[in-house]
Amino acid sequence: MKRRERMLDQLEQEIREHIEMETQDNIARGMSPEEARYAAMRKFGNVTRVQEDAREVWSFVWLEQLWQDVRFGVRMLLKSPAFTAVAVLTLAFGIGANTAIFSLVDAVMLRSLPVANPAQLVLLKWSARKSPNIHGMASWGDCPSDLRDGRANPSGCSFSEPMFREIAGANIFEGTAAFANSGRLDLTGNGPASVINGQLVSGDFFRTMGLRATIGRLINASDDTAAAAPVTVLNYGYWQSAFGGSRDVIGRTIELNAVSFTIVGVAEQRFTGITPGSDYDVWVPLIQGTKINPQQNIRSSLGILDRQHDAAHWWLTIVGRMKPGTPPAQSQAMVSGIFRNEMLHGAVPMLHGGQLGGVPPMRLGAPAVSGSVPAPGPGPTPVPMPLQSTPGNAAIQFRSELGGAPPQSAGSGNVRFGLPAPRAAPVGGVNPDETPSAAQAFSTEEDNPQVALISAQTGLVGTRARYSDPLYLLMLAVGIILLIACANVAGLMLARAAARQKEMAVRLALGAGRARIVRQLLTESVMLSALGGVLGILFAYWGAHTIISFVSSNQTRPLGFAMGVDLRVLGFTVAVSLFTGILFGVAPAFRSTRVDLTPTLKEGEGSSAGAGHSRARWFSAGNALVVTQVALAVVVLVGAGLLVRTLQNLRSVDLGFDAHNILIFGIDPTLAGYQGAQADSLYRDLQGRLAETPGVKSASYSMMPLLSNGLMMTVFHWPGTPEDQTSESDVLDIGPNFFDTLHIPFLAGRSFNASDFELAAANGGDKPTSAPTPVIVNQTFVQKYLGKENPIGKAYGAAAAGPFGVATPGYEIVGVVRDTKYNELRREIHPMMYKPHSVGVATFELRTAADPQALLPAIREVVGQVNADLPLFNVTTQSQQIDRLLFQERLVARLAGFFGVLALVLACIGLYGLLSYEVSRRTREIGIRIALGAQPERVLKLVLQQGIALALVGAVVGIGVALGVTRYLGSMLFNVRASDPLTMSAVAVLLALVAVAACYIPARRATRVDPMVALRYE
Amino acid sequence: MSTKEQRERIGLLQGTLDLLILRTLILGPTHGHAIAKAIEFKSDDVLQVEQGSLYPALHRLIKRGWISAEEGTSENNRRAKFYRLTAKGRRQLVLETSKWDRLAGAIARILRPSEQEGKS
Repeated sequence: MKRRERMLDQLEQEIREHIEMETQDNIARGMSPEEARYAAMRKFGNVTRVQEDAREVWSFVWLEQLWQDVRFGVRMLLKSPAFTAVAVLTLAFGIGANTAIFSLVDAVMLRSLPVANPAQLVLLKWSARKSPNIHGMASWGDCPSDLRDGRANPSGCSFSEPMFREIAGANIFEGTAAFANSGRLDLTGNGPASVINGQLVSGDFFRTMGLRATIGRLINASDDTAAAAPVTVLNYGYWQSAFGGSRDVIGRTIELNAVSFTIVGVAEQRFTGITPGSDYDVWVPLIQGTKINPQQNIRSSLGILDRQHDAAHWWLTIVGRMKPGTPPAQSQAMVSGIFRNEMLHGAVPMLHGGQLGGVPPMRLGAPAVSGSVPAPGPGPTPVPMPLQSTPGNAAIQFRSELGGAPPQSAGSGNVRFGLPAPRAAPVGGVNPDETPSAAQAFSTEEDNPQVALISAQTGLVGTRARYSDPLYLLMLAVGIILLIACANVAGLMLARAAARQKEMAVRLALGAGRARIVRQLLTESVMLSALGGVLGILFAYWGAHTIISFVSSNQTRPLGFAMGVDLRVLGFTVAVSLFTGILFGVAPAFRSTRVDLTPTLKEGEGSSAGAGHSRARWFSAGNALVVTQVALAVVVLVGAGLLVRTLQNLRSVDLGFDAHNILIFGIDPTLAGYQGAQADSLYRDLQGRLAETPGVKSASYSMMPLLSNGLMMTVFHWPGTPEDQTSESDVLDIGPNFFDTLHIPFLAGRSFNASDFELAAANGGDKPTSAPTPVIVNQTFVQKYLGKENPIGKAYGAAAAGPFGVATPGYEIVGVVRDTKYNELRREIHPMMYKPHSVGVATFELRTAADPQALLPAIREVVGQVNADLPLFNVTTQSQQIDRLLFQERLVARLAGFFGVLALVLACIGLYGLLSYEVSRRTREIGIRIALGAQPERVLKLVLQQGIALALVGAVVGIGVALGVTRYLGSMLFNVRASDPLTMSAVAVLLALVAVAACYIPARRATRVDPMVALRYE
Repeated sequence: MSTKEQRERIGLLQGTLDLLILRTLILGPTHGHAIAKAIEFKSDDVLQVEQGSLYPALHRLIKRGWISAEEGTSENNRRAKFYRLTAKGRRQLVLETSKWDRLAGAIARILRPSEQEGKS
């Protein structure tokens, strides 16, 4: 380095000597001293460049020049604070919006699983050509399963417990874990009774995940044995909120569904569940599954193998940790081999037929309803739960299909998912069928059942699936916003480059290298975008929090996604900022160095010659940028408009009932030990007491509330149709006064009376009567099945005793009510039958006189008087329920609307900027026009014309692009076409209005040009 | 006008200047101006060297250790910096020269194939 200093210090002296020598030589050749000196200097060349080049040899010039550029850039940016502020703000909006949405994408889609070395974890996924022959299948939203009736190539991630034990025992993986939702858990022993959410995990679960306990210990293999005492591990967040983070919880006993569990530890803070978006309060050993669900035992007494030992009941998700050094293909072949062997050679356990209390007609979750199926509890009684209440159950499929076509006619007999009857499920199924032969296998050779090991990171989708579409849509929108911001700032830079032409010309003339100037200008633009990025992160932080609080305001439980600006988000922002800076900086930079020196130096700025040019060059860079901005803004606006219209359409959908002032809460007497008819009388008792509570106008209950995403369907035989044909209807079990409470008008017939409920309870029990169960149907049911026939008194669905089921008396229509929406707003109204509710869970609906929430304390008191250990859950109002149903639409419409406005504002700033620049550039021309007698209106028109023409071209281009793009919105829209002319024209009008406003200010300024000042402008 | 002049002379290929400097210094240590003069003189003024560009090249060669610099007095008694070829530079010159010969030969063969054949 010392050598470097010496060399450089002496360089100047050396160059002087050199020129002096050359001058002497020239004089010696006979030149005059002046001439000699001039010739010597010319021969030597650019002294500064030589010095710089020499310096460059020695140093990290790159860095030095960067520092120089940065200092110069700071001075330049400070010199024009207005430009800097607008550019930085524009970029901050663009970058901030991108960072905010990306941080959501990061949290939801990209973050790695909260376990040690997530890359080693694999998820087991089976597939076959045809559906295997199993009794039941449940998945908890951890991984999407494709198991629709009769569908070819089904697949899924649920396995039976015996299969899990076999795979775990084969020692293929370093650790093998199985888990399943525990269903609703009624917790007592820690203050008032509450309902929490737990997960059953195998003994090796936590070891396989590589997790540690915050305090105490985690569940281990010895806890998952039949002899082990029941233990539980708490979620960190739950420990904090419910136990105040007290260290004394270790060793404490709590009751889960009336079973005592000892708390042994608290899990790591970051771990709320293995699947993204899941959040469990407690973890319980798998072996306790049967104890915490007493219904399980009842089911066994009916002759059904319990879930734990039933190889034909698939309900566990399995994750394994790969052994280091073992090739994945080898492990996969081993697992697949075990599975295949069981599928082809293991016998499907027999359902002990004959004693079954009727084959269930009930089917939870029609295959046609996408992702909106209620979550069943782990017990045999399908427990409908609104989707939002249980994280991690986004796409649960739970079906009993025993009422389907007889196996003989079903051909191969492969399509058979049967869940044995919910014990007390109402009777009414026709065609009780399914006589599985003892020798039946799960699958055949040609079905090719196999298991694939897929990365747990990508395989465990969880609630991600629900958010991915809207997130990618929003990512697209903010991407467009960033482009607009870039075009906007590029326009500003172009205008500035024009203003700095003289500066550039001087620098070029003084010998600055062209590349050097481009680099300097790029440094300036990257500095702008970096500033924008810093500010953008602040915007993003604020924006992401707003979104998250909006999201969580909608959840009854905390959102299972941790938001935050992590390294990946920061990296993204840095990359976006750099990219942006280069994108908007490069064109203006190159343009400003392409300067014809002499005329630029000679003439002043704002020469009138420029005005003539701009007319000829209609499609100048500035104009192109503005047109681009307007077009992109139109695309975002059209998309936003369509989504907002969708939301409006959904909100104004005719529900068929009055959703205002209805309080909803769930209750599950079975969790508090009520059995059979006891539950019925509890409901009846509560209903009476609640109806008399002051402020309550009317009270009723149903198996689940309307518009809660829960849906039940049933199949039956309709008289007059072929024997093997089944008909289908939605079904809902309701309590007394249901229609009065919800304001659903009767069109014919009567409401249920007390004897109807007794009859329904009897028919739903073990010894059905011969009288058909009374039902009330909706208009669509009448239209579809009865036409002009009088519906009242019509009986259907009766069936004689079959080889597998007892005789069922069927149904008789006693009333007809108006059509209502059932599970969600988008679904068409289907035929619907209401049955008297008996047994099982229920949700109460109370019609209140005023604000339903205000009544809550009184309601709790009434319920508490009946039984203090009966927690209310899913307390909400019908309107909140609908809002929750529309949550995604509301979120997307709101954000898209915001981004649409942002795009519009940015495009207008661009338009305004361009016109302002044009006006100031053409000040002299305008001055001359005015001096020559042009009226202000003419001048106004001159400027407005350009602006409006640009806006129009942009709008036309934008609508063209929008027409091409909005097609992809298709599935998110409701009652509005992607090419909706109303939305398109509304956007066009809005844009025109705002564009005129944006043009008007510079145009006004043009009319105020004082000709005298303008002519003296230079 | 200056552009016209340049067209009649030949610009230097990238890196050739280094070779020419090394070649000039093999005759003994000398100062910058003399190196420039020598290159011009020996090439019968065909090679156009912008004299200034000599200096960054000299610095580059010093940095690589192919030449060294020392204080001295020029022929007309001025203090000047003298450049001397180092042993490493000498080796480099041999290497570069043979490289150049091969390159020149190859280009010549491409440009004048018949002549080459005739000669050989």
